Amino acid sequence: MLEIAKKVTRYFASFMLITAINFTLPRLMPGDPVKNLIGEDAYVSEKVTEELRAELGLNMSLSEQFTSYLSSLLHLDLGYSYHLHAPVAEVLLNKMGWTLLFVGISVVIGSFLGVFLGALAGWKPERKASRFTSFAFVVISCIPPYFLALLTLYIFAFKLGLFPSKGFYDTPEIGSVLYHLFLPTCVMSVFSASRNFLVMRGSVIQEKEQLYALYARAKGLHDTGILFRHIVKNASLPIITLLALDFGFLLSGALFIEIVFSLNGMGLLIYDAIMGKDYPLLQGAFLVIAFTALLTNMLADLLYALIDPRARRPA
Amino acid sequence: MKQIKHFIGLELKAGLKRRMALIMLIFTLFAILLPVGTAVPEDSENNLTISKDGFFDGIITYLKNLYPGAERELQTSETISKAAIEDVQQSADSGRVVLKIATPSVVKSASLIGDSNLGIFAHLSNPPLMKMDSEGRLVGQLAESYNVSENNTCWTFYLKDDLYWSDGEKVTPQDVEFSIRYYGKKTPWAGWINETLESSTISEADNSVTFKFNKPYTRVNMEFVTYNILPAHIWETIENPMEYLNNGPYVGCGPYYLKMIDLNAGKLIFEKNPYWKGKVSEFENVEVHLYSNVDVATLALKNGDVDTYYKYAGSYPYSGIEQLEKTGDFDFLEKTDIGLVFLSPNLKKAPFSDPGFREALTYAINYEEIARLETLGYGEVPNRGFVPPAMENFKETEKLEYSPEKAIETLEKAGYSDSNGNGVLEGKDRKDIKLEILIRSEYARTGELLEEYFERIGLSVDLKTVDADTWVTLKDSYDYDLTVTRSTPGVCLCTQVGEAAILIPDGQARE
Repeated sequence: MLEIAKKVTRYFASFMLITAINFTLPRLMPGDPVKNLIGEDAYVSEKVTEELRAELGLNMSLSEQFTSYLSSLLHLDLGYSYHLHAPVAEVLLNKMGWTLLFVGISVVIGSFLGVFLGALAGWKPERKASRFTSFAFVVISCIPPYFLALLTLYIFAFKLGLFPSKGFYDTPEIGSVLYHLFLPTCVMSVFSASRNFLVMRGSVIQEKEQLYALYARAKGLHDTGILFRHIVKNASLPIITLLALDFGFLLSGALFIEIVFSLNGMGLLIYDAIMGKDYPLLQGAFLVIAFTALLTNMLADLLYALIDPRARRPA
Repeated sequence: MKQIKHFIGLELKAGLKRRMALIMLIFTLFAILLPVGTAVPEDSENNLTISKDGFFDGIITYLKNLYPGAERELQTSETISKAAIEDVQQSADSGRVVLKIATPSVVKSASLIGDSNLGIFAHLSNPPLMKMDSEGRLVGQLAESYNVSENNTCWTFYLKDDLYWSDGEKVTPQDVEFSIRYYGKKTPWAGWINETLESSTISEADNSVTFKFNKPYTRVNMEFVTYNILPAHIWETIENPMEYLNNGPYVGCGPYYLKMIDLNAGKLIFEKNPYWKGKVSEFENVEVHLYSNVDVATLALKNGDVDTYYKYAGSYPYSGIEQLEKTGDFDFLEKTDIGLVFLSPNLKKAPFSDPGFREALTYAINYEEIARLETLGYGEVPNRGFVPPAMENFKETEKLEYSPEKAIETLEKAGYSDSNGNGVLEGKDRKDIKLEILIRSEYARTGELLEEYFERIGLSVDLKTVDADTWVTLKDSYDYDLTVTRSTPGVCLCTQVGEAAILIPDGQARE
């Protein structure tokens, strides 16, 4: 219980530190959000500029802005987006939903596929099928995501005409959503699988040399039993870490995939917020991502302790 | 077992542990998914079919909630009405003639006044008073004609008398007066109106509106090319137009009105204004398809998914033209782009404060090479002067010339020489000249070419490539010697950057 309390305190301290960094980082970027908002095409007087600065609360000192930010945060108010003209919480909720839909599914598919194929490839690496899958996943993991997404889109959407080229849907119906998200989800799943595959393969190769595997064989267990009942369990520990990291990635979206498939998700939202110096939106997005990353890392810690007895042993 | 107890205080069997691990994984996923899924009240109407129960019901509810639901109070303004969607589906089913336009100018918010790209597309539904015709001349759009007093303080615009809003109301001079004053009061970018507009008068008799400014203003006709005219009877109740989000329909007075904005589908849908009395278009609907990626937009055009391509004051990507030609499906019309790319020297400090130095540098630039490399041959060597050929008041002057020898000779005449023989020319203060060229990332290649040209004539160059925001900051603080930038016809940028400018080849738009 004491261990859990220590962990919770550590995560809470991390969260507070992240909150402070979230506030500071956007303000360290060069450029003026007010000028960005007005646009370089428009000429406005100094008076109007200052009025706008005051309206956005940017005329206050940094300490006052930070106090105001913390106060809003305690009232569960993430602020108001300069460029999207809507409350940050509302904007994030909408975009997060879409991003979670396709990135979340991709992470799950990619994990299962990567773990399963990686385990098989690591168990018998000398087989032709293992060598082929290893080669294929190494190639995929080396291809820049942007290029692979564009290539997939070119072949399946434009050459074969099987899938649409942009958007979450054409008309807001389930069929249309699934049809539009199939291709980006496939591309992301393959990427996620390639990472998990390589980690799992290496992990299984290492684990199968352990004495417990030999003992299991001596007991007369068949290959599938040894691999999936004993080795995978031990070999999947690095995958849990990878999954926890992927959940942070899940909310920040997949910028390149969103750009190629013109998906209006979190990745593009954050990119636009950075380019537009939209401080409230950046702070809100980073805060949600950081919170999710902390939460999933905490869960990963718990899972580690559940799966691996060594993690439970007192130091 | 003792160790397990140490962790959670319970004895767990191996099978149970595995199951718990799986449950934790599933819980993690659903914990993340749940907030969005529960964000909408249960009784909300929906556009998606929902089954009574089961796992798929959860997925369907989740998908439904992603769609900007009508009942989410906070998002009421973002709602796309069910009727509008059904209408659009019916339009698609009935095989109406639709013009589909691909654009990389992505609309980010359903704010007609707050989103600059949406404002540009809304020229189709809410045309401004003026427009620039295909020859670059300023002509009336909603205005039949206009005149200006001799001292440039009184501008009178005479409206066409056959203009109607899509709800059947007539377009009146009050609408124009309201729109201009509304922009002045409610938007930061039109703050100049609020500061300089002394009075405005309306004449029902000649369907005109007169704006009197407190100082001479010579380019109101150009300014009014960008201000979309709004129906006063709709917008006067909207207190904060910048924050007013609405997915449509919007009442418009152009040949079309903006029927629906669907950012998740990446499209804007315009439908014919039933009260439009002007030239009738053969297209029942115009769809603007938003692409976050230029390459995909060009592929969509090549593939026939869309009919044409649009980018504000910009050209079709030069690298994609050859591919389009190969399809044989397109006719090409070349026009010079109205956007212009130019070099702007900082006149506030040496050496660019010296006209002799500036003159010398005009000979140092290989314009043909820039045209070949940057515009793949679709650009041309510019003339002296700032007004580009695509615009009104363009004067045919001599073409800029590339001659490094002339550049060196002119520099020598102006008093710049390499007296210490280190290969770098010295300024009038006898120190080596080191030019700081400020470049936005999109002109990085142009910057590298300029660096090469200037070094060739004995100038040392420090190339500083920065993002757009940093560029604005450094430009406004005059922290540069020379910069490359771009402008569009309505921009006052040239007065902010400097009075002298050298055009560099910009391309030609192909339609």
